[in-house]
Amino acid sequence: MLEVRGLDARYGDAQALWDVALDVGAAETVCIVGPNGAGKTTLVQTIAGLHRAAAGTITVEGVDVAALPGHRVCDHGVATVPEGRRVFGHMSVRDNLLLGAYRRPARAVHRETEARVYELFPRLKERATQQAGSLSGGEQQMLALGRALMALPRLLLLDEPSLGLAPVIVDEVFDAIAAVNATGVSVLLVEQDVERALSAASRGYLLIEGRIVASGTTTELRESADVRERVLGM
Amino acid sequence: MTAVQAALSGALIGGLYALMAAGLSVTWGTLRVINLAHFGLILVGAYLSYQLTSAWGIDPMLTLLVSAPVLFVVGAALQWAYDRFNIVEFNSLLVSFGLLMIIIEVSTQVWTADFRHIDAGANPYGTSALHLGPIALPVSRLVALGFALLLIGGGHLVLERTFAGRGLRAFAQDRTVAASFGIDHRRLGLVVGGLAGVSAAVAGMVFALGNTIAPAHAYEWFGTVFAVVILGGIGNLLGSLFAGLGVGAFSALVAVLWDPSYEPFVLFLAIILALVLRPQGLFTRRGLA
Ligand SMILES: Nc1ncnc2c1ncn2[C@@H]1O[C@H](COP(=O)(O)OP(=O)(O)O)[C@@H](O)[C@H]1O
Ligand SMILES: [Mg+2]
Repeated sequence: MLEVRGLDARYGDAQALWDVALDVGAAETVCIVGPNGAGKTTLVQTIAGLHRAAAGTITVEGVDVAALPGHRVCDHGVATVPEGRRVFGHMSVRDNLLLGAYRRPARAVHRETEARVYELFPRLKERATQQAGSLSGGEQQMLALGRALMALPRLLLLDEPSLGLAPVIVDEVFDAIAAVNATGVSVLLVEQDVERALSAASRGYLLIEGRIVASGTTTELRESADVRERVLGM
Repeated sequence: MTAVQAALSGALIGGLYALMAAGLSVTWGTLRVINLAHFGLILVGAYLSYQLTSAWGIDPMLTLLVSAPVLFVVGAALQWAYDRFNIVEFNSLLVSFGLLMIIIEVSTQVWTADFRHIDAGANPYGTSALHLGPIALPVSRLVALGFALLLIGGGHLVLERTFAGRGLRAFAQDRTVAASFGIDHRRLGLVVGGLAGVSAAVAGMVFALGNTIAPAHAYEWFGTVFAVVILGGIGNLLGSLFAGLGVGAFSALVAVLWDPSYEPFVLFLAIILALVLRPQGLFTRRGLA
């Protein structure tokens, strides 16, 4: 589904990613864990085409999207739930969802997809006409996820979906992610909450200072000294 | 009764202010371009309507069939250039002011600095009025209000109800996230710039119906129209309609009840007060950031 090779990213002179390689298989959930400032958000934004790669390839279903303009990457089935949710606060919940279905194939079936998102998150239906900015953090996270689903993604990029949420809400969000994954959508999950990430995923990568320093199944990662020391603090 | 008459007919002129403000407000609110050249487009729109009416002897409103497409292209081309050279916000203020001066200079070369007006014979709207008992409402101003309602109401519906409108509102709030859902800001910018050009054509035509035209008018519109944009809330179409009507009625009242020479002073004092009390504009912004 997703194949990243030799990926570098920089902000001006400062390099944020060094020779990153990773894979996400079809219908797989893969996590990336690492401390604050490791480059996780940069990695997600670069894959989504929102930050230009300095070097390397990003192949989605066999197509290299690294050189595409940001607004074209979604045409290859990639949707993002950005860090901090970033819902459109001045728009209604429903308009946020419909915005997710902006591109043609998704637009044609937006009513059906909207109904499915409301099934997944009944609370969004109750709040459909409310301004997104007035929602609680948990509801905004559901909205950000719902908005991404409206785009009919085949690869979902999630950047710290647990950030700032109460544990019961995080459970709800992760249940929804599992449900989405069960429908065949591949998931790349970035998390600082390592426990959650490792339980949700089947494989993972450890990113430190812009480099992948360990990878493997989540069981292997749990055992790894690096992960235990550097992100679990054990 | 003079007060009622003044308020009503002032509010109708406000329709013209709203038409002038709408394009400026939307490009500012969504594309972050403060396009002062917009006043130049309105001026050119007025001259085109004048010229075509004189040349062909057609109804002034029909001149929109030519001036609207022409200014659509000009508006889109301007936006393309702003985008190409990454001119936004403060830079756009300077650059577009320069463009405005050029447009005014060229207009002066083409149409001279003399006052021009559509021949009374060719202008069925110029001097007639609608009489409601003791109150007389000039038809040219009713036309202004009619077009303002049509254009701004239509624009509002597009922003609220269509995918393109949602895309534009989303883009105004968070460009990066909007792009991740496929919103191509270049293409959207061309359309918005073009439509702002169309609104300038309409505003220019409406202005030409009831006024004489001279290049210096473009500068005179500045203060009032800016006030309408800010009071209405930047990027808020309905807000600019209400603000236009309010500013029109208020100025007319000051002129009648007090003294016409106090009008700008009192108007801007009131605007400053209003902004101190409600910095986000008088009308809560919905949709646009
Ligand atoms: N917009 C930016 N401009 C400059 N440097 C940035 C920017 N965003 C992130 N960085 C830097 O890139 C590195 C990686 O940041 P980020 O991808 O946000 O990490 P993470 O998401 O893992 O916390 C950090 O050193 C950070 O300071
Ligand atoms: Mg981050």
